[in-house]
Amino acid sequence: MKRRQFIKNSSLASTLFFVPNFIKAFEEISIESLGYKKLVIIQLSGGNDGLNTVVPYSNDLYYNYRPTISIKEKEIIKLNDNLGLDSSLTPLKRLYDKGLLTIINNVGYPNPNRSHFRSTDIWQTASDSNQYLQNGWVGRYLDAFGKNNYNAIEIDDSLSLMLKGENMSGIATKSASTLYKASQNPNFKKILSYQNEEHLSEHNLGYLYKTMISAESSAKHIFFNAKKVVKANSYPNNGFANQLRTMAQFINSGMETKVFYSSLGGFDTHSNQNKKQKKLLEMYAESMEAFVADLKAQNTFKDTLIITFSEFGRRVEQNAANGTDHGAANNVFIIGENMKKPGLYNDLASLSDLDGNGDLKYEIDFRAIYATILKKWLDVDDKKILNTSFNYLDFI
Amino acid sequence: MNKKHILHLYWRAGFGVLPKQAMELAKETKKAIVDDLFEKSLKMEHLLLDTSKLDTYLTADFKTDKMARQAFLNLNAEKFNAYNYAWMDRLNYSDQILREKMTLFWANHFVCRDRNIYHLQSYNNTLRENALGSFRDFVKVISKEASMIKYLDTLKNSKRSPNENFARELLELFTIGVGNYTEQDIKESARAFTGYKYHKTEGYFVFNEKAHDGKTKTFLNKQGEFNGDDIIDIILEQEECAAFICKKIYTYFVNDTINDFHVSKMVNVFYPDYNIETLMRYVFTSDWFYDQENIGSKIKSPIELLVGMNKIVPMQFKEKKNYLKLQKLLGQVLLDPPNVAGWKGGRSWIDPNTLMLRLNLPQLLLSNSVMDLNEKGDFTDSYKELYKKSSNKGMVIKPDWKSFEENFNGLPFFQIKESLILCQIKEGTNEILENLNEEDKKNNIIQLMSIPEYQLC
Repeated sequence: MKRRQFIKNSSLASTLFFVPNFIKAFEEISIESLGYKKLVIIQLSGGNDGLNTVVPYSNDLYYNYRPTISIKEKEIIKLNDNLGLDSSLTPLKRLYDKGLLTIINNVGYPNPNRSHFRSTDIWQTASDSNQYLQNGWVGRYLDAFGKNNYNAIEIDDSLSLMLKGENMSGIATKSASTLYKASQNPNFKKILSYQNEEHLSEHNLGYLYKTMISAESSAKHIFFNAKKVVKANSYPNNGFANQLRTMAQFINSGMETKVFYSSLGGFDTHSNQNKKQKKLLEMYAESMEAFVADLKAQNTFKDTLIITFSEFGRRVEQNAANGTDHGAANNVFIIGENMKKPGLYNDLASLSDLDGNGDLKYEIDFRAIYATILKKWLDVDDKKILNTSFNYLDFI
Repeated sequence: MNKKHILHLYWRAGFGVLPKQAMELAKETKKAIVDDLFEKSLKMEHLLLDTSKLDTYLTADFKTDKMARQAFLNLNAEKFNAYNYAWMDRLNYSDQILREKMTLFWANHFVCRDRNIYHLQSYNNTLRENALGSFRDFVKVISKEASMIKYLDTLKNSKRSPNENFARELLELFTIGVGNYTEQDIKESARAFTGYKYHKTEGYFVFNEKAHDGKTKTFLNKQGEFNGDDIIDIILEQEECAAFICKKIYTYFVNDTINDFHVSKMVNVFYPDYNIETLMRYVFTSDWFYDQENIGSKIKSPIELLVGMNKIVPMQFKEKKNYLKLQKLLGQVLLDPPNVAGWKGGRSWIDPNTLMLRLNLPQLLLSNSVMDLNEKGDFTDSYKELYKKSSNKGMVIKPDWKSFEENFNGLPFFQIKESLILCQIKEGTNEILENLNEEDKKNNIIQLMSIPEYQLC
């Protein structure tokens, strides 16, 4: 068999996406009712060392706990008399100075889990420490208020638990055109005329067809909207910046996506921490500054709120390998316009009153941040998503 | 036995069956076929890697010899991947398919993660050994596996400071399920599992009398100086425990939607002896197991999908790492469950991305396409590893078309279709299949495995 013929014959295999006409009617429904506000979620994956990010530079205990890896005062960009950012975060300081950044310290949850997997699950599902939820908090938001997969987009090749709901999931893509190509094939339209409402039956086969239909429609929506906007050039050259660049293109296109998620990995710094972490933080801060500038230029920044978290902080005391082990409470960055309390939201927890593992004690439950965002930014009933009520914070 | 029923049985008790084998089996009775499945799984072959290179480091003092420690850790990490491949190979080529399918089921029941290859092998083979045995013995030996003792913190559970993690999951996930015990029961039973340890190098269970709380406990309305095994016995006295396990087996082997009547019949068989083989024999010989609503109704797990495809066209990955990558992208990496609750299964396997990948998979794997997708990085990946990944594109796979031709030679397409697709094919999709060129077997098999219906078993 000749290769070309083979490819031609394989057309059925390559796509399998088709949309019956009656479904199209649904696609036109917009989520205008949800407003124009967008949420961007960034995970610093691996457990960013918050203490070497927002540094208690005037605290002797900090230097005692970390004789070789503490950030020296001369490398600190001071925020106040106690705390300062590591110099790798200079671009972030510029956002801070413009009143666009709020730093919330000591964020965590009761009975912290120190496994990456488990703690990431907890943050992504907004569960209790001993509760196993099978869908993410953004997924549950989609279940309640979403209409299409593209209402939540992860900039990656596979979808994280955070964006998986019971009945509706987000969609992952690093490239609108690759996703679109994977979802299109003219030959398959042949089948269209045969499709009918039966496909949407409650059985698993109906579910598969339904997912195919919505995946195709989302791939198309993303592709054609993204095409309207040229990607900005003003980004640093690294993978994370690229993800933000794609995200900005999506946001600036006006596509009806409420939530974006992306992660930056490599923060599991058990050994020789400083060099690696500084490089990553620099990558994060430079990319974020370019992202904000890109959105500002297109006038979409005012409708975008960016939250950055890590699944846990790291042990206060350094280890023998010039690194740090898994810890508990950590800081969270919120970036946006009109912050109610720009700057430091609260003080850093005490370094003399650590938990039994020698980790920072949490003061603010991360779900209180989610609740605040859901209620005050996305304008939905947070209890419907989180199933518990949390006291709202005062950052937006 | 009806051929459709054979396909159904083999998909649930294993990973499918080749058409010619199914035709052979059709001459036999249901009883003979089910007996044969059990007979083939009588023997028990441990899944073991050659660890001789690693063994040489066991006597090293890692505290002083940092080089040895690092070498050991690197080798150990390689072995973890190698064990994943070895398990995949086992699933692909073993003839003890029922035992292997049950092992996979139990791995998602007594869920555990471990990176120590010695402990991991021991845990995995304990699953295999007990897969068709006594559930009572099974719970007891699992509670004493080094991997489990570490994973659920029994090691930290002592008389002085009890840790409830294992006791909680034992009740909630491993035996009886929520609603059948109180928080106080968890506290009391945690005390019974104090003093659990394992031998530092050999990994076998060690009971530390000194750390054990031997005082009286009140558990599920009983009082006594219970130890861990006593607690397990008391849990298993409750019929609710049998019901909990039967429901889980029903969901995995029969249908996502529970039929209470069928489950109650299973409980009658399972309780109070807790013999897994008897239970499974009952399930596979029951008339209701072969009800139309159960056939072709389940969404294949990623592993079922991959192993099932490999049965039709065996394939070799040039770089074995791609096997892992594929599992990751599809959402199920062997030995790497998401958390102690395991994979939820069913529809949770499906999201827009995994479905697109699943439907494109036959072509990606079998027609020399290059796969341009990257799996997510590990948490523990170093900065360097993480950011060099983007250049590592494409996977090279060698399909064994010869073996396919031998197995499918002489079969008309409609017969191949019948043996691969268990559910009713949607009309439009079927029309496309009908119009395929009968001669182009390779292409046809790719098409067949690419329709949504192939995702079901």
